[in-house]
Amino acid sequence: MCFNSFFFLFFFMLINFFFFVYFIMNGLSVFFEWEIISFNSMSIVMSILLDWMSLLFMMFVSLISSVVIFYSKSYMNSELNLNRFIILVLMFVFSMVLLIISPNLISILLGWDGLGLISYCLVIYYQNLKSYNAGMLTALSNRIGDVMILMVICWVMNYGSWNYIFYFDFMKNDYVMFIISFMIIIAAMTKSAQIPFSSWLPAAMAAPTPVSALVHSSTLVTAGVYLLIRFNYLLIDMFFFKVLLFLSILTMFMSGISANYEFDLKKIIALSTLSQLGLMMSILSLGFPDIAFFHLLTHAMFKALLFMCAGVIIHMMNDIQDIRYMGGLSLYIPLTSLCLNISNLSLCGIPFLSGFYSKDLILEMVSFNSFNLMVFILFYLSTGLTVFYTFRLIMYVMINDFNLMMIYNLYDEDYIMLNSMFVLLFMSLLSGSFLSWFIFSYPYMIYLPFNLKLMVIYVSILGSILGFMVSNMGIYSLNKLLLSYNLSSFLCLMWFMPNLSTYGLSYIYLNFSQILFKNIDMGWSEIYSGKGIFNILKNYSVFYNIYQMNNFKIYLFSFILWFMILFIFFFI
Amino acid sequence: MLTNNNSNKMFFLFILFFSTLISISSNSWFGCWIGLEINLLSFIPLISNSKNLLSVETSLKYFLTQSLASINFLFMILIKFSLLKNFNMNNIISIMMNSSLLMKMGSAPFHFWFPNIVEGLSWMNNFMLMTWQKISPMILLSYYFNKNFLIFMIIMNLIIGSLGGLNQTSLRKLLAFSSINNLGWMIFSIMISENLWLFYFLIYSMMIFMMISLFFLMNMYFMNQLFINNMNFFIKLNLLINFLSLGGLPPFMGFMPKWIIINFLLINKFYFLTFIFMMTSLIIIYYYIRIIYSSFMFNYFKMKWVNLLMKNNMSLINLSSFISISSMILSTFIFM
Repeated sequence: MCFNSFFFLFFFMLINFFFFVYFIMNGLSVFFEWEIISFNSMSIVMSILLDWMSLLFMMFVSLISSVVIFYSKSYMNSELNLNRFIILVLMFVFSMVLLIISPNLISILLGWDGLGLISYCLVIYYQNLKSYNAGMLTALSNRIGDVMILMVICWVMNYGSWNYIFYFDFMKNDYVMFIISFMIIIAAMTKSAQIPFSSWLPAAMAAPTPVSALVHSSTLVTAGVYLLIRFNYLLIDMFFFKVLLFLSILTMFMSGISANYEFDLKKIIALSTLSQLGLMMSILSLGFPDIAFFHLLTHAMFKALLFMCAGVIIHMMNDIQDIRYMGGLSLYIPLTSLCLNISNLSLCGIPFLSGFYSKDLILEMVSFNSFNLMVFILFYLSTGLTVFYTFRLIMYVMINDFNLMMIYNLYDEDYIMLNSMFVLLFMSLLSGSFLSWFIFSYPYMIYLPFNLKLMVIYVSILGSILGFMVSNMGIYSLNKLLLSYNLSSFLCLMWFMPNLSTYGLSYIYLNFSQILFKNIDMGWSEIYSGKGIFNILKNYSVFYNIYQMNNFKIYLFSFILWFMILFIFFFI
Repeated sequence: MLTNNNSNKMFFLFILFFSTLISISSNSWFGCWIGLEINLLSFIPLISNSKNLLSVETSLKYFLTQSLASINFLFMILIKFSLLKNFNMNNIISIMMNSSLLMKMGSAPFHFWFPNIVEGLSWMNNFMLMTWQKISPMILLSYYFNKNFLIFMIIMNLIIGSLGGLNQTSLRKLLAFSSINNLGWMIFSIMISENLWLFYFLIYSMMIFMMISLFFLMNMYFMNQLFINNMNFFIKLNLLINFLSLGGLPPFMGFMPKWIIINFLLINKFYFLTFIFMMTSLIIIYYYIRIIYSSFMFNYFKMKWVNLLMKNNMSLINLSSFISISSMILSTFIFM
């Protein structure tokens, strides 16, 4: 099953690639439409939009998913029901493809809901308590986005069809479009885990690592960004876009800080995903959708690779995800550490890897256009923080001493996992330049003073030095975390927002419902409808039985009595 | 009578049928009374078995109540003829005549003899008592009834039929109270039209026949006998279906007559009466389900030392289950 789906998806990727090249070279875009039903004034159509953006995204999605399925043949080989897992992943890919190719809100809803549902099924795949909680958090946060899209469907009925792409130019200043844009932004924020809804992404790391590599690095979380890219013409001058800018910058900043306090390998990578998502959203809300798309794609490559390396390391460490137990792995697992290092450096934006092209372009656009001081500071600060936690991670995992046990066996020769990582390695080296040559037919005009241009390098060097210094922990080093306990826990626990969206939202209602349950369901309603009525009827029946079990002459006498009663009663 | 063989029974059965026909097809009240008397006289030999003290006592009780009712009926007829010159506008006489007919049937408030007697009869005699004996009083009721009085009687029937059965463990008494409850439905249907009553009565008697034949074949008289034998699946299924059908649960056969009667209730705007019909129906279904629920759960109570064998005439059971399930749907084809 693994091999079949791998070959199918790989072949699909190649088809998409060839079509993408053809379409972008000739500037084509194809629109299929099939009218399913038409009633009164609305018509439900199933439409497929194939332009270069959707083909490119489909190519990347199918590449990553084929590689992940191949990887999971070895990663999940002790799983009894591997077929179930593969089928879930394939359904996920199908929903994602449906989302990508649809210019129509109903099929977007199908893809969107499918994504949310299947990611829930995949997060709870290991059926333990932590996975259940994580799955519930994931599903319910995504549900908010689903509700928003449902309401958008309802509001868009004002325009006569659900093909939103036709209405952008004409209806931009309409009140209805205002509401629609608000809801779309909230939907994208829930899916891409921006600030109010960001608690599900670190929690969803309870999923198996291939799922994290596919879902939480490149496809599910970028669905929100993709939706906003599609809706970009509508949203450009809106006020909410500026709100989105604010929130996404804060997301970027907050997750960068929190990743520095984390010791769980997958959580660090999740928070780095969150940070990059904030980056994508912020550059999108500044008005550059194509740069956001570019960063989305390159980020997908190296983040999926990073997750897969993390999976290999976790397998080797006997399923321990804590980086304090790891160290010195670069000596023992050269190939995996090669992939890990390249993807990490690509994340930092080291020159001429793939991440450099997109990240550097973003930062230069931010510097070149005149934006807010806060925007500027937080962008560069977050870039520095990215380098900070990346280098801290590399120091902890690769360079410092090995901390697990005296006797160890670090096995690097699992060529199924390694081959799948090499494919992504190849792509994460080259996709930056390759995509920039394809997508940007002419380069952006950027003219910056010298120090501003080098500001990226300055913050990167600063971050790397700090990362090096922070990770020099030994037996006798002072744990300064405890000295600033309040501040540290605030920064570490994602500014307490997960508590707000889980415990804060549900505690009152759960408490109240317990009171209701104890008092009404197991209390008064038992007396007034459950056991109480039964007791009443039983007493009536017992009372009746006293009359029934009598001598026969009493019966005969009662007949006469009844005659007289009825006679008198009805006579009057 | 000295012997109690089948030829005697056939003879008296024939006279029983004939007496009902006399009663309902006469064009004078005297003829009706004659039919009722012959009915009583021919039923007594059917139920009395001189070897068994209980059945002698039962037949005696039956004789006493029915003759009291017949005397009453005759008296009211005579008063109606002689004193009131056969006018149709008098309330009192209709009340008295209806009361005596209700006593004949075993309807509340004159029903106290009914569970007692049913307890003392065998299953087939019970079947006769519960179905055939109700025909002539019902039809006579339809000739001259008092609407307000009958509605009051209906309510009493329903309530007593449902409440009385809650505390019973004997299957015969249970069916007796259910019969009293169904009498309420039937009296109402008489008030609407005789055709409707015929429909309800036929379906009711078919259901009662299926149940009673099942109990007769298994020789079961008490509720605990349902639990201590090892019934095979089809018998349990049949029991389940028939009880639920008797209770009036769709999609079984017993739902149809109740549905139609509720339809007529609502057309004629008897809203509160509808409420009472439905609520008492629920109580009845409760004690039916109480009988059978443990036998059709996955973990049912089963004693393994008594094994109920499949007898030769189990095709009847399968047929009756089939009829109970499919009648409602098939009936739509009849009226096409």
